[in-house]
Amino acid sequence: MGILSRMSTIFKSKVNRALDKAENPGETLDYSYERQLEQVQNFKRGIVEVTTAKKRLELQSSQLRADVQRMDNQARQALAADREDLARTVLVRKQAAQQQLDGLDQQITALNDQQQKLSDAEARLSAKVESFRTQKEVIKAQYSAAKAQVKIGEAVTGISEEMTDVGSAIDRAQNKTSQMQARAGAIDELVNTGVLADVTAVGGGNDVDRQLAQITAQSGVDDELAKMKAELGAPGQRPQIGPPGSH
Amino acid sequence: MIVRIQGEGQWELTGSQLDELDKIDNQMLEEIDHQDGTRFQQLLGQMLGYVRTKGRRLPTDEIVESNLILPPSDATADEVKALFTDEGLISSV
Repeated sequence: MGILSRMSTIFKSKVNRALDKAENPGETLDYSYERQLEQVQNFKRGIVEVTTAKKRLELQSSQLRADVQRMDNQARQALAADREDLARTVLVRKQAAQQQLDGLDQQITALNDQQQKLSDAEARLSAKVESFRTQKEVIKAQYSAAKAQVKIGEAVTGISEEMTDVGSAIDRAQNKTSQMQARAGAIDELVNTGVLADVTAVGGGNDVDRQLAQITAQSGVDDELAKMKAELGAPGQRPQIGPPGSH
Repeated sequence: MIVRIQGEGQWELTGSQLDELDKIDNQMLEEIDHQDGTRFQQLLGQMLGYVRTKGRRLPTDEIVESNLILPPSDATADEVKALFTDEGLISSV
């Protein structure tokens, strides 16, 4: 028994064919159609959930991207101030953030593909439901009760197969999405506990920020001094900044 | 014969085309227990590609039951195996 036949058996066991004992074919068809419309609405909601989850990941990705950029600037700033040690610390954190970002972007791309496929699947399903609506009127009008039973069985099974397919595609997408959200939550956690965020916290009073602020202030003073010296005709001097405490 | 690629829709294949699928199917079965699932996914890609290019795609509004169900394009060997195990079908091989 190959993969395909086993997969088909499993899939078909989920397809609903429970309508073949109906007493009134017309009512059965109408009922089935109503259920199909409800299902299509459910699927649409499922697709919206996937889209919402994707948007959240996109937001997180753009925040992380800004953090990476900020850390890059901070590293340059530190290096320009001859603080290679500080630049190194910032770059280590930047690398970690960049790695998270790459993973996140990959997931977003995958989710984009999936979202497109789900919308296509939903469109196919809606077309079939519409086709079912037409067919059921034909069956009601033209077929004898016995023959109608057969036709109804075919139509209901066919459309139920489509429902099963779209339903499991949405389930898969939702599973993947929740895995991604768990991962995104873990990244938030890293940021919140400071593994990634130390250098990125706006106005945060952490060590790196303080040291950079010191350097900025220091070089501001040095710049001003150098300017003043130049105005006074003294020979120009490049400011040298050492680690804190060396002055 | 009507085949469905999960998540993509339905195609009609001739008997000799089904033989081709059967060949790939057997290779996939050999690969399903391998640690590295790369070959499995290659074969799956090959199989789905064959159906998409050689088969006749059914019109969207046609309502018909499929004879064979193919895994979705992003299915992994582990996923398929888990599905079989869940259903207790693995013991029937």
